[in-house]
Amino acid sequence: MDKKYGVYICGGCSIKEALDLEKLSQVAIKEYKVPICKTHPALCGEEGVALITNDMQAEGVNSVIIAACSGRVKYDVFDFPQPSIVERVNIREQVVWTHDWTKEVQTKTKDAEGKEEVKTEQKPNEDTQMLAEDYLRMGIIKTQKTALPEPHIPEAVERNILVIGGGITGLTAAIEAANTGYDVTIVERSPELGGYAAKQRKQLPTSAPWTDLEPTSVQAKIQEAANNPKITVKTGQEIARISGAPGLFDISFKPTGEKSKWDIPPKKKDADKDKPAEAKPAEGEAKPEGEEGEVAADQIKCEDILTSDPDAERFGAIIVAAGWSPADPSEFEHLGYGKYANVITNVTMEELATKGKIVRPSDGKPAKNVAFIQSPGVDGDDSDFPYCSSVTSMVSLKQARYVREDYADAKAFVVYKHMRTPGHYENFYKSAQNEEGVFLTRGEVKGITEDAQKNLVIEVDDTILGEKIALNVDMVVLAAGMVPATKTQSVINLAYRQGPDFKDLELFDGYADSNYICFPYETRRTGIYAAGCVRQTMTIGESMEDATGAALKAIQCLESTSRGMAVHPRSGDMSFPEFFFQRCTQCKRCTEECPFGALDDDEKGTPKPNPTRCRRCGTCMGACPERIISFKNYHIDMIGSMVKAIDVPDEDEEKYRVVAFVCENDAYPALDMAGLHGLKYSADIRFISVRCLGSVNTIWIADAMSKGIDGVLLIGCKYGDDYQCHFVKGSELANRRMDNVAETLGKLRLEPVRVQQVQFAIDEYEKVPELINKFMETIEGVGFNPMKGF
Amino acid sequence: MAEGKLIKPDLEFVRKVIDSGGESLKKCYQCATCSVVCNVTPDDRPFPRKEMIHAQWGLKDKLFSNPDIWLCHQCSDCTAYCPRGAKPGEVLNAIRKLSIEHYAFPKFLGRAVGDSKYLLFLFAVPIVIFVVALAIQGHLRIPEEMPIVYAERFMKVPYIDTIFIAAALFAVMGFIVGISRYWKDLSSDGRAEAKMTVGSALFATVKEFLAHKKFQKCEVTVDRSKSHLFVFYAFVGLAITTTWAIIYLYGYELLGIQSTSLLHFGESPYPLYDPMKILGNLSAFTLLLGITLVISNRLKNEKKAGGGSYYDWLFISVVLGIVATGILSELLRLAGIAVLAYPIYFIHLVIVFFLFAYAPYSKMAHMVYRTTALVYAKSSGRDREDA
Repeated sequence: MDKKYGVYICGGCSIKEALDLEKLSQVAIKEYKVPICKTHPALCGEEGVALITNDMQAEGVNSVIIAACSGRVKYDVFDFPQPSIVERVNIREQVVWTHDWTKEVQTKTKDAEGKEEVKTEQKPNEDTQMLAEDYLRMGIIKTQKTALPEPHIPEAVERNILVIGGGITGLTAAIEAANTGYDVTIVERSPELGGYAAKQRKQLPTSAPWTDLEPTSVQAKIQEAANNPKITVKTGQEIARISGAPGLFDISFKPTGEKSKWDIPPKKKDADKDKPAEAKPAEGEAKPEGEEGEVAADQIKCEDILTSDPDAERFGAIIVAAGWSPADPSEFEHLGYGKYANVITNVTMEELATKGKIVRPSDGKPAKNVAFIQSPGVDGDDSDFPYCSSVTSMVSLKQARYVREDYADAKAFVVYKHMRTPGHYENFYKSAQNEEGVFLTRGEVKGITEDAQKNLVIEVDDTILGEKIALNVDMVVLAAGMVPATKTQSVINLAYRQGPDFKDLELFDGYADSNYICFPYETRRTGIYAAGCVRQTMTIGESMEDATGAALKAIQCLESTSRGMAVHPRSGDMSFPEFFFQRCTQCKRCTEECPFGALDDDEKGTPKPNPTRCRRCGTCMGACPERIISFKNYHIDMIGSMVKAIDVPDEDEEKYRVVAFVCENDAYPALDMAGLHGLKYSADIRFISVRCLGSVNTIWIADAMSKGIDGVLLIGCKYGDDYQCHFVKGSELANRRMDNVAETLGKLRLEPVRVQQVQFAIDEYEKVPELINKFMETIEGVGFNPMKGF
Repeated sequence: MAEGKLIKPDLEFVRKVIDSGGESLKKCYQCATCSVVCNVTPDDRPFPRKEMIHAQWGLKDKLFSNPDIWLCHQCSDCTAYCPRGAKPGEVLNAIRKLSIEHYAFPKFLGRAVGDSKYLLFLFAVPIVIFVVALAIQGHLRIPEEMPIVYAERFMKVPYIDTIFIAAALFAVMGFIVGISRYWKDLSSDGRAEAKMTVGSALFATVKEFLAHKKFQKCEVTVDRSKSHLFVFYAFVGLAITTTWAIIYLYGYELLGIQSTSLLHFGESPYPLYDPMKILGNLSAFTLLLGITLVISNRLKNEKKAGGGSYYDWLFISVVLGIVATGILSELLRLAGIAVLAYPIYFIHLVIVFFLFAYAPYSKMAHMVYRTTALVYAKSSGRDREDA
């Protein structure tokens, strides 16, 4: 595309009162020779938009640079026909709303008698003007360096969905997606569909008034799935491997529990990983024994992850609804589980209740007095059983009601440290509590003893009855937790270089990691969406709701992928990373650092991109030491040139210059919000929006330093266990790179404090002035960059 | 393992509390708002929170042997503020009823008075007795002679006295057995460390009753401090009147004391200006006023304080019945309308019998049980000092 530039400067929203627009125009006209540069009192009005559209039609302007409000607002107003590039220069929120328009200037004059007189005058603030000019420079440069992205649309993209797990969640997801018009396959390990939802007498309420138990609804779902021509069911099968990428997932199925050559080969030894790439055997050479995962006699040699299975079935997106399994409470010895026949888990209780009237396992006698224990209660520790939740609380109440249903004189005791019945389920709690034979108390179970008739006595301390009590019961039911399948099994078996499982499972107790507030179904693997109890424990009702959400995400993935667009969080983005392989040194950093495992390197270590797995964060671009990775509209040269476009005053002007790389997801909106609230901060800082701090390449810092810029600030999201990074690992990886940066600065005799990274949340906008002014003080403390002027 | 106290919830008792007006019992989730808003509970081990869980768990022995259920005067502040609608005031009322039933002797009457099934039977007893008594006297029809003299032409004094003295003795016997069992239970846990003698505790209790101090601490139902006070003093007045009438009758019959122009020894009816008659009539109107206020307060506070149980309303109806038929009997007698006067008087006698004979089993018994509990509480230091 031959670019023809047009710069449009808006005077509205106080901009023309604050700035000298004529002088600002000169930047475009004189410095960058932009052929068209116009100012208008209100660009976002009909007249303003028409001004631009006319130029596009009459003058052939196709690269529009609008210096006005933040690009986060009025994007619908400044939406011009394609192909065109629109760059927004934020001189409203980040210039005129956050900086003083005028400055007090003191001038000394001598009057006729030679007496000195000090005159104070209000003059236009040159710092604010310089800030706006720099932003315009950067905006023009950015537009010059931008190319229109061409979407990557892979051939043979499938628009069907695989659902792993045929329980209530999987069935619901399949039915919802099928009813929307997509072909769905359900794969279920066990011989029957239904999961735990089918193994219960009754289910917790799923609708108003939320008071009574309901007949199980999963059978109807099984029937519905069977009757739906768009749903294929594979029972007794599991995943050997998933290879490929969204739109192109190739799935190798196998009978449950059997070995297959398409299983994922064991991970290479750590020692092997540490060896330099050159030491690796060349292609075609026999691999030394024991290097590529030991193969025992009874095992099948597994195919390499890059080998493709000709019999694999192709799917577009995957929903993981693998469910849960009960935790084993035998570690709590004082409760006698495993020792006493009549101490059972809630899952066993459900089986007993499903068979008929509840009887004791030891002798088949009616179980009329049953204690339900929610927490092991060891030495004042008020934790519940591992993997317990509101669901297990409510299951205890449900089963207490079973006991009452079965025998008119039955007594059910529920001993808890926490009774969690969130939301509408409070009504269920109330109705269970209202049963005259249901007795609830907080308490710490001290121990359980058994007599000759296998009757049990439980001792409970710290009760709300105000004393230590003992209860005679026929049976004790322990609230065993619900362990996510992702913790106990290899569910997805990805043929990805980063490994077969979701990443960082151990950080989240084995639950498939996703941000439960901002993007609940997303996992660390693009196109694979978690639903139901692999995400968090859920009731039947919650699982069904969750399944619906995950089905929508899977559909979004299919639709975006087939259009060459990113799914999340840069939904609709058509750019993707391009590799200049001639210069690749096979360092594998991109493969290893990609938070989403988008790259699979081959034996030599050359990255193999999978564009549909990519979320376009640019972490690979930030990681690459050779700087061979770029996007059409976001690349090393673009940001580097923007840094270089900043007008750095000479040392004798006594003005500092600092550049900040700002995460576009949270930190940049926070800066806009600071503007909206009229918060004031130093005019010596220039913000450059980046897709993620993970995409910040250290070369930009070097560019800034050599340009004479006095400091570099990286403002990004919180990282760690409760991370807020939209790309999960971006800000954390940036922080790791900062160590190297500090080292390099030291070598250049520059103070390491000149480059800092801060974690900033979107709701902290009121701290923007404090953050910036503090950094400016630090920079003023170390003085000007000695490289200024070189 | 240190032995915990073996708890055996009594499901039957839970059901009884629910059936006796405590149907909201199980709603309590032990937040203790009730104990915080209660103005009469002691600070240490406050009620009614613990009573609620004891009742939920059917631990009746813990409830009955504890004077706290009687320290509660059912202000209903707890009920008004309960976030769950568990109505602790109503639940404690039901527990008190069951406590009266528990200590009742004979047991059957304890159950019968609290159960609407037996209402007809309970009324049939005095009706049969009085019909038989009238039959013996040959007074089964309405006398036509004027003036109307109930004690002469209808139910003669010896019959009245025999029946009512017997009823009163029966009641006293019931109270003695019940209270002695109750006192034994109260003292059973050995918690009581005497803070004052039983005599001085009784004196303090009576002093408190006379002033109705506890009722004045109520917030939601503070009006009850007046209505109950009227009823209380009306009963005191009627008790004095009854005693006075006995002195008139037997002072003349046994001791031969003659009437003066002011004091009319001898048989009824007595002239309206007689001081005994004045006191009697005054008390009757106070009772009418009191019981009317009781009813109107209850209706007014129904939303906040709860509607009350069968047991409550039976007692209120009996008192209202007595005062209404009593006043009507007198007015109809003075008006000389025999055809109405005698039947009304008959009903009056039946209800008075009901009140007397069933006093240890009806809500009337609260007078005795509450006194006992307060005496025990005061002597053991359980009651609030400032009460």
